[in-house]
Amino acid sequence: MNSMMSIGNLHVRFATPFGSLEAVRSVDLEIPAGASVGIVGESGSGKTVACRAAMGLLSGSNVQRDGTVVFDGKELTAMTREEVRNEFGTGMAMIFQDPMTALNPVRRIGTQLSESLRLRLGMDKKAALARSAELLSLVRIPDPEAMLKKFPYQLSGGMRQRVMIAIAISCNPKLLFADEPTTALDVTVQAQILQLLSELRRDLKMSMVLITHDLGVVANHTDFVAVMYAGEVVEQATTAELFANMKMPYTQALLNSIPNIEMKSGERLQVIEGRLPNPVDRPKGCGFVTRCSYAQQKCHDEHPPLLDAGNGHLYRCWYPLGHTIARKP
Amino acid sequence: MRKKYTIPTYFAFGWLGFAVFLAVFGSFIPIDGYQVIHGDFIDSPPFTSGHWFGVDSNGYDIFSGIINGARLSIFIAVVSVGLGGFIGSLLGVTAAYYRGRYDSVVNTAFNVVLSVPNLVLALALVAVLATNVDINEAVPTWRRLITLVMSLTIVIIPILGRIARAATLAWSGREFIVAARSMGMRDRHIISRHIVPNVLPALIAVGFLAVGVVIIAEASLSLLGVGIPDGASWGGMIARGRNDLEYNPHALYIPIIALAFTVISTNHVGDVLRGKLDRREGRL
Amino acid sequence: MRGSFWVKRLAQLLITVFGVTFGCSLLVQLLPVSPAEILLPVGSPEERDLLTKEIGLDRGPIGYYAKWLGEFVTGDFGDIYYSGGTEEVSGRLATALPRSLLLMIYTQIVALSIAIPLGVWSAYRVGRRADKVISNTLFTMSSIPNFAIALVLVLIVGVRLQWLPTLDYQPFSAGPWEHAKHMIMPVLSLSVGLVASYTRLLRADMIATLREDYITMAASKGLSDRRVLWRHAFRPSSVTLFTSAALNMGGLIGGAIVVETIFATYGVGFEVFAAISGRQYIALQSMVAIICIFYVLFNLTIDVIAGYVDPRTRDRRINA
Repeated sequence: MNSMMSIGNLHVRFATPFGSLEAVRSVDLEIPAGASVGIVGESGSGKTVACRAAMGLLSGSNVQRDGTVVFDGKELTAMTREEVRNEFGTGMAMIFQDPMTALNPVRRIGTQLSESLRLRLGMDKKAALARSAELLSLVRIPDPEAMLKKFPYQLSGGMRQRVMIAIAISCNPKLLFADEPTTALDVTVQAQILQLLSELRRDLKMSMVLITHDLGVVANHTDFVAVMYAGEVVEQATTAELFANMKMPYTQALLNSIPNIEMKSGERLQVIEGRLPNPVDRPKGCGFVTRCSYAQQKCHDEHPPLLDAGNGHLYRCWYPLGHTIARKP
Repeated sequence: MRKKYTIPTYFAFGWLGFAVFLAVFGSFIPIDGYQVIHGDFIDSPPFTSGHWFGVDSNGYDIFSGIINGARLSIFIAVVSVGLGGFIGSLLGVTAAYYRGRYDSVVNTAFNVVLSVPNLVLALALVAVLATNVDINEAVPTWRRLITLVMSLTIVIIPILGRIARAATLAWSGREFIVAARSMGMRDRHIISRHIVPNVLPALIAVGFLAVGVVIIAEASLSLLGVGIPDGASWGGMIARGRNDLEYNPHALYIPIIALAFTVISTNHVGDVLRGKLDRREGRL
Repeated sequence: MRGSFWVKRLAQLLITVFGVTFGCSLLVQLLPVSPAEILLPVGSPEERDLLTKEIGLDRGPIGYYAKWLGEFVTGDFGDIYYSGGTEEVSGRLATALPRSLLLMIYTQIVALSIAIPLGVWSAYRVGRRADKVISNTLFTMSSIPNFAIALVLVLIVGVRLQWLPTLDYQPFSAGPWEHAKHMIMPVLSLSVGLVASYTRLLRADMIATLREDYITMAASKGLSDRRVLWRHAFRPSSVTLFTSAALNMGGLIGGAIVVETIFATYGVGFEVFAAISGRQYIALQSMVAIICIFYVLFNLTIDVIAGYVDPRTRDRRINA
C-alpha cells in the first residue's frame, strides 16, 4: 500500500508566558493512500494541533515545529511556505469543527467556493460558478444556484458544514483532514454528514483523516485508528484490531463515554474522571496515571514506551488490558 | 500573570506628577512671576542663564509661564472633568438603573449634545455665557474662567455620562444586582454599594482621556481668542507665540511640548487603566 | 421588518436635529442682552424693536423657533449684520461649505489610505518589532493636538523652508497644484491624529479576525497571505473603522475651526468662529444647525455602508 502522508517524530511547542508548552510529542503516523484514519482523543489531547502542524497551518512567532512530514512523496517540512501553500486545496484540504466560525461571514457562499477554483485551478469566473453549483449538489444541497448568492448567516449549521465540505473537496484533494466535522451539529445531522464524507471519499478516491472524540464514529467510518492522549499517540491499530483487542485503559474509558441520544449537541464529554496533565510541567510517569483505575507504582515512575502487540497494533501502557497476570488489585 | 509597567507608563506617571506638582506648588518656586518683563532678555533663546526656556518677544520668561500655565490648564481640566463626570455619571447611572421614559430623555439629550462637535459646542457656550450686559465693558478674567469651566463641563457631561450609562446597563443585569433587588434593598443602596463601585473604574479610565480632551479644547479656545485673557494658560502662550514664530520659535514650541507631553501622559494612563479593566472584566 | 429599523433610525435622527436646533435657539434667547442690541450697537430703540420683530424674538421661545425653522427649511439661514448693512448667511456658506467638505474629504482619504495598510500590516506582524514601532509611534502622534501640528508645519515648512504658502485657499479651478499647495498643510494637520486612531481600531479588529477559523480555512485553501489578509480578513474587520470615520466627520468640523483659522482657509469652521467672535448669534444658530445636519447625514450614510460591508449587521438590525 502506498503512503499518502507519513508523519515522523512530530513535536509542536508553543511559547507561552508560563513556559514552553509541548502540545504534540513525538507523534509517528502513517496515512495509507485511499485509507481513512481516525484520530481519537479528548479536547486538548493534541489531535487538532498535530494535524494542523502536519499540514503546515500553524503560524506565529510562538510556534515551534520539529519532525518530518512527507506528503505524496514530497517532504513538506523541507519546503518553503510558498511550496507548501501550493499543496493546499489540490493536495491537502481541511474541514473545520465549527461551520459557524469557519466560513467568512461577509462573503457570499459562491465567492468563497469559487475562489479556490479560480485561484488554484485557474478557472474563469463563469466556469468556477458553474462548478461551484455542481459541488453544492454533490454535497446534496438543494437548489445550489440560490445557495451561491447567500451569506453564511442565512444557513443552518448542517448546510454550512456541507458548504465547507464542498469548499474542501473543490480542488480534488488527495488527502482530506476532517477536524471534528460533526461536533457542532445536531445528532440527526451528524450521521448524514459522516455518511456523506464516507461516500465522497470513496467516489473521489481520497485519503481522509477523521479527527473526533467519538469512538463510535471511528468504528463506522475509518480503517485505522490512532488514539491520542496528552500530545502522544497512546494506541494505534487497524480499526477492527483495536475494537477486537483493546489494550489501553484510556481507549476503553473513551469507549465508555460515547455520547447517547439524550445528550445535547455541543455538550462536552466529562465522563472520564480527572483532567489532562499540565502540558507545561508534565509528570515523569504515564500521563493518564491519576485517572487510571489500573495504575501501579511503575506507572507513576516511568514513562511507558510504545510497545508492539503484533500486526501493527501499538500501545503505550505498562499494564495493558487483557494482561491480568501482572496486575495487582 | 501580572503585567509589569513599561517605561512609557513610568514616564507618563512621572510627568503628570511633575505637572501637578508645578500646578500646586508652582507659586512657591523662587523665580519671578510670569508677568514680570525682562526687557534686556527679549527674544533670548533657551538655555540663557537665568532663563532656562528663554524669553519671549514680550519679555516674559517662558519657564515661569509654563509653571503658571500648568496651574491654569490643569485646574481647568481637572475641575471640568470632575464636575462633568459627577453630573454625567449621576444622570447616566440613574437613567440606566431606572430605565423607562427618564432613560430615553437622558439618552436622547446625551446624543443631541454629542452631535455638536466638542469645540463648536464649547465655543458657542463660551460666547453666549461670556456676553456682557454692557457690550463695551471687558469681561473680567474670573468670569471668563468660570464661563470656560462651565462650558467645558457641559462638553464633558454627555461623554462621561454615556460611559456611565452603558456600564450601568451592563452591570444591572448581573445576578448579584437582581439578587440584591429581590432581597428588598433600597435603590439608593444598590446604586451606591453595588453599581457605582463597578462603574467607577471605567469612568476613571475614560476620565483621564477626557482630561486630555479638555486640555486640548482649552488651548484651541485660547488660539481662537476666547480663552483666558493675557495668555496665562498653555494655550494662551501658544497663541502668543504664534504671533512671532519667525524670530522666536521657542515661545511657540516649548508650551506645545509641555501640552503634548501632558496629553500623551493622560491618554497613556487612561489607556493602561482601560487595559487593566478589560483584563479584569475578561476574568469575570 | 427591515423597514421599521429605518423608520426608527430616521426618527432618532430627526429628534437629534430638532434637539440641537431648538437648543441653539434657546441659547440665543438666554443671552443676557437682546441680540438686537448686540447687532445694532448704535441703532435707535425703534430700529432695535423692528429688528427684534424681524428676527421673531418677540414671539417667545416656541414662536421664535417655529419662525426660524420655517425660514431655515426654505434656505433662508438669516443674515450677518454689519455696521454698514447685512449679508446673507447662505451666501457665506455657499463659498465656505465646499472648502470645508473638500478639506474633510481629503483628510479622510489621506488618513484612511495611510491607516489601512499600517493597521493590516501591524496586525499581521502582531507582537513583532514592526508592530511595536508602528503602534508606539502612532500612539504618541494621536495625542498631539492638530493645532500643534499645524503650527509646527507653518513654522518649518512655511516659514523656514518656504515650500508652501501658509495662508489662504485656492479653488481647484485655479490649477490642481495651486489648489494642492494650499491644502497640503491643513490636510496633514487634521489627518495625523486620525491616522493614529484609525490604525489602532483596525489593528485591534484585524488581530481578532485573524484568530478566526475562517482565516485558517482560507489559508488551507492555498491562498497567499496577501489575499487572506485583504480579501478575507480586512472586510469583516473594517466595520468599526468606517463607523468611526463617519463619526469623526463631526469632530473634524471642530478640529477644522482651529486649523482653518490658522491657515485662513475660510471654511465653515472659520465662519463659525467669525460668527462667534462677531457675536452674530442668529447666523451661528443656522451654522450649528447645518453642521449638525451634516453630522447626522454622515451617520446615516455609514449605517448603509456598514450594512454593505458586513451583512451580519443587516441581520442584527432586523432583530433590533
